[in-house]
Parts: sequence; structure tokens; C-alpha cells
Amino acid sequence: MRLLTHNTLRNNSQAAKGEGFPLKITATEIRVEEAPVLAEDEQQLSFVKGILGMLDWSALVVAASEMGLDKALPPILTEDLTKDEDFLRALFHVLMNVHLVNGVLTCPVTGREFPVMDGIPNMILEEEECETIRI
Amino acid sequence: DSTCNFEERVLANVTTRIMTCYLPIDRYNILVEFAVKHMDFQRAELESVLDLYGIKLHSPDCQILPLPSPTTERTRPFLMLSFPCELKGPRFHLEEEEATNSNEQESIASILSRCILVRSVIELWGIGTTIEDCVDCSKQWKESCLGKEIFGKHSDSSKSWKLTIHTLGSTFTRQEQNDMRLNFKFFDFKGPVKMKEPTSEYIMIREVELSSLGSAVYPRQDCSKKTIPENEARPPLAVYFGRILGQGRATKGRGDVERYSLKKRNYLGPTSMDAELSFIMSNLGQVEKGKYVMDPFVGTGSILLSCAIRGAYCIGTDIDIRVLRGRNEHENIRSNFAQFGLPRPELVRSDNAMYNRHYRRSAVPLYDSIVTDPPYGIRAGARRSGSRSENPKPVVEEWRHNHIAQTKPYAVEDVMADLLDMAARTLVMGGRLVYVIPSFSAEFSVENDLPQHTCLEFIHSCYQPFSPELGRRIVTMKKMKAYEETRQNEYLAVVWKNGAESAEKCANIRDKLLEAAKKKPRYEEKLAIRKEKRKKTKDAKKRAKLEHNSDSNIDKNQ
Repeated sequence: MRLLTHNTLRNNSQAAKGEGFPLKITATEIRVEEAPVLAEDEQQLSFVKGILGMLDWSALVVAASEMGLDKALPPILTEDLTKDEDFLRALFHVLMNVHLVNGVLTCPVTGREFPVMDGIPNMILEEEECETIRI
Repeated sequence: DSTCNFEERVLANVTTRIMTCYLPIDRYNILVEFAVKHMDFQRAELESVLDLYGIKLHSPDCQILPLPSPTTERTRPFLMLSFPCELKGPRFHLEEEEATNSNEQESIASILSRCILVRSVIELWGIGTTIEDCVDCSKQWKESCLGKEIFGKHSDSSKSWKLTIHTLGSTFTRQEQNDMRLNFKFFDFKGPVKMKEPTSEYIMIREVELSSLGSAVYPRQDCSKKTIPENEARPPLAVYFGRILGQGRATKGRGDVERYSLKKRNYLGPTSMDAELSFIMSNLGQVEKGKYVMDPFVGTGSILLSCAIRGAYCIGTDIDIRVLRGRNEHENIRSNFAQFGLPRPELVRSDNAMYNRHYRRSAVPLYDSIVTDPPYGIRAGARRSGSRSENPKPVVEEWRHNHIAQTKPYAVEDVMADLLDMAARTLVMGGRLVYVIPSFSAEFSVENDLPQHTCLEFIHSCYQPFSPELGRRIVTMKKMKAYEETRQNEYLAVVWKNGAESAEKCANIRDKLLEAAKKKPRYEEKLAIRKEKRKKTKDAKKRAKLEHNSDSNIDKNQ
């Protein structure tokens, strides 16, 4: 699971009442992967520029430190930084190359745990947590 | 009453074709030749790819010219496009040298080579309904302003060349082909003729009427079994002359398909989408380098793979953990990607029925494209979270991590409604949703029976038939309005225009197929034969296993 994905996940059970974000990361195994040879710099840069607008920055900063990347990211994203290509490359690395292989994601409100196994987070709810009425 | 009125038929064809051909010689004209398959998809794929580069089909910047002999009703595997000479955009340039010199711009040929169904792209120098007409037209073109300029670039002695004669659906002798070549001798290219990889390859195409399977319509033998000379048996619909642009003519459509064929993959499932159609879908979705693509029913990842090959970053979700994990560490979605040196796809186990509640609440657009093949219960049933009973028992805490939550069937109409809702929320403005939907019904109206969404505009629907009644549609939609959280119920209420009736045409296909099969003659008989066969193979396998075991037991005892 990458940090980019983590930035979008939340606990969707009834109990959380829509506030189950961001999920706290407890990492048991992390892997840092360099992108394979086929990936080009230009491709990575245009990708980062595209998703920059939808990141929840504060959640990302906290998650990065939970993954062992203390102080890797500045606390606030400024206008200048968005134009700095070296910063964008570093951001791409943080978002896309650091994988949580095994660990747990915990809801900040209810404490409900979502396991991450072999890089795949399991967001499926148990029967009783599901809405019975179709929303 | 197909008696010997063959000659009358030929005559009738000739008379209707005496119409002047129009080739605007002050514009840059090209001919696109398509592969003869997936006919319904050709224009849609072309339009999507051109649009990606800022070229709008049907606009004055890219006009479609009528083909010579426009009276036939069949879809022909050709399209003539006409551009103003000075046309260029931030991402493309008509002039090939200009385009190759710049990093940002591509030439028309290179843009069109992305289309799987395009066989070749030809710079048109002349057209006609017969060879003679084509020759006249080419002579006129050669004397025109633009013609002189283009011809001048390619006619000097340093440029080797050859002239290929391509006769669709008909064979001519070498002598006949050379005679056709001689018609164009007036061009007088100064360079040497070179058969292998010349600098410029010219082509004359003689088009005849083809059936939907790609074979010529008219027979070679008349009713007295006499072979009719080719030229009379299959009169030309059109003759085109021009210079081949780009890589030259591919025999089956563009290259990548063989390289990434399903036969070469480590991990496959019964629902893996074939490489060709996956690439076409990625083109319909305008997937390219640096984009973020999602597949909410990822399965074995075959569609995502083609998107990754185009340079996009991919994320796939599925409710079935077994399919996400794969068979073992060497046979899973990730190993398929690794096989081709692609970045690892992101995988999440989640349920689309409640998508909006698995992801951050605000409908923040994330994805540039969503390209998917939802399960509709033919080979893979759709499931969603939830118990079948009214009051499910809560799971004891210590068993929670290993508990596999019960799932219940997910009706096709809900699958589609939720998919559209999710796409409307999470696509960026202008982003595309491409999905597959089956149909088992002769009366299907694209306007009324396809699911709809207020925020999504319908772009195209391409039909792929399997049998007279069964087929599937690949539908493309584009996000044109921002999603408003408060209007969710309103959006969901209008998904099926004709309500349950429309949804029904796409649902319960497995049952309908079974019913239809039962009605066919000798169904019971054939079923019995199949059962017998299956039993035999099963018994044979059992026997083989027992023998193998007893052999190895003997070895052990020794």
C-alpha cells in the first residue's frame, strides 16, 4: 500500500459516522522500491503535478512519519514548492515508492482495525457494520 | 432469383459510381485504413485518440471527406480526413520533420499509430472510382501548389522508393500489378527503387466491396462456372494513391497486441480481457503517460495492464481477496506487471457497493480514467458486503482478523448504478469512464436502455456481437458536471431511464443463455454426450493418479 492510497482511505462503518479519516498506520513491514527502468522522469513529474491538488497534506505528513519518513515532508505545502521540480520528484518517491507490506490501519474515532497484508489493505466490513438500507 | 443477371448487376454498379471524386487540393489529406474487425469500435477509438491530442473529428480542422462511391451501405475500412495545411497544436504538428524535431509534438501518423484498429496512415495524392480517375486526380494534385511542395520533398535522387499495389479482396498477377504501376510513371521519382525499407513507400489501394468478415462480396465464377476476370468480377469501389506515413502497414493492427498477448501471461483467469480489446478500451479512456487510472473490478488485472503499458499509474480494487492475491507468489496480478517491467499496481480489497464510504468523504476527483469490466453474472458473479440474514451476529473480537465476511449477490442494476455514481464522484472533470455491459436482447436502445448519470455525458457505445442475440457493449462516458453530495439520491433515481425494464436487458444473462440453449434442438441429447465425456475424463484421470501412486510406492519399497 502506498502513501498515495492511504491518503484516500477511511473507515466507512456506521459507528465512525463519516469521521474515520485519516487512518493511523502501525507498520510491521515496509519496503522501499525504486521505480523500474521503464518509468520516465517526465511521466513521474506529470503524474505528481496532476494529483497534487487532491492530497490531504496534513494527513500525508503524519502518515509519512508513521512510515518512518520523519521530516521528509514540510508541514505546509507552499506555492513555491509546487513549482520546484526536485521537490516534486522527492514527493513522488514518498507517495509512490514507499510501500506498507504488512501492518494495521486504525480508525481515529472507533479504533477499528483494517489489516494490511502483502501490500493489500482489506477495507471490507463485517456484516453488522454494513448499512442495511441502501444509501 | 439469382440467375445470370450478373452482368446487369455490374453495369448497375458502374453507373451509380460515375460521380466526381472530391479531393480538396489546397488541404492536407490523409487516408486511414482500418483492420477489418471490431467495425463498431474503429471510429470511436480514432475519435478518442485524436481528441486526446486536441484534434476534434468533424470540425473544420479535421473534416471527414466522403469516400468515392458513397452509395454502399456497408461500413468500409477506410476514412479520409482533411486538415488545413497550417494546422498545428501544442501536442501535434502535421509536418513530420517538425514533429520529430520537437519533444512535445507528435505527427499525425504517430498519433494514429496508437490506435489498435488502424492498419496504415497514407498521405493522399489522388483518389478516384477507377484507376484512370485516380491517375487524373493525382496529375492535378501534382500540379497544385501544395502538391508541388510535397512532391518536391520526396522526388529527389537521394530518396529511395517503391510502389506497393494493394488490392483488397482480389488477387492480380504480377504482370497486372506492374501494369497498374505503369499508370503512375508520370511521377518520375528520381531516386532508386529499393524493395526493402526504402525512404518512401508509395501505395495504390484498389478497394472493392467487402463483407463484414473481410472477404470480397462478388463471386469469381458466374453461373456457368466460368471464372470471371478479376477486374470485371470485382469492380473497384475506389482507388487511392499516396505515400505511407509512419511505420508502414501492419498486417493485423498495431504491434503491441502480440507482445502482450494473453498467451504470454503468468496469471490468467476466466474473465481476463484479451489484449486487443484492453488496448482499445485504454484508448477509449484516453489513457496515457502520467495519468492515474482505476479499475474497481480489477480481477486478474488484464485491463489495468494495458493502461500501465501506456504509461499510466494504476490502482485496482476487488472484493475477492483470492483474485487479488493470485495463485501464489509467481502467479498473481503483480507478477504479470513485473513480467513487462511495469510499476507495481496498487491493489485494495474493497466493496464498490459502498465506494463513497470507503474513501475520503469529500468527492475529491482522483482519477483521470476509470476503465473496467464489471461482473455481470455470466462467468463471475458479482458480490457485495452484507449478510443475507436480517440481523447478523457480531464477530467476536479475537476472530476478527481471520474472519471472511459473508457476501451477498449484487444485482447488475445496482452494480451499474454504483459504478456510475463512483465515477461521477472520483473522475476529474473531463475524465472518462469506459465499461463493458452485456446484452441479450435484439431490441436494445442505446439512448434509453443504457444507465445514465446527470454528471456523466455519453460519448460512445461500441457493440461486439458474439451470436445473434448475445453481445456486449463497450460504453464510454465523460464527466462534465461536478458531483454534488446533496444530490446523491436524485442521481441514483435516474440511472435507469426505463426503470427495471432496461436493467433487465443486462441482467440475469446466464439464465437467459441457459433457457435459449434448452430451446435448441437436440439439447437433451447433447447434454447427455457432454456428461458422458466429462465422466470419462474424470475416471481416466483417477486411474492415472492411482497408477502413478502405486508406481511411486513400488519405488519407495525398493
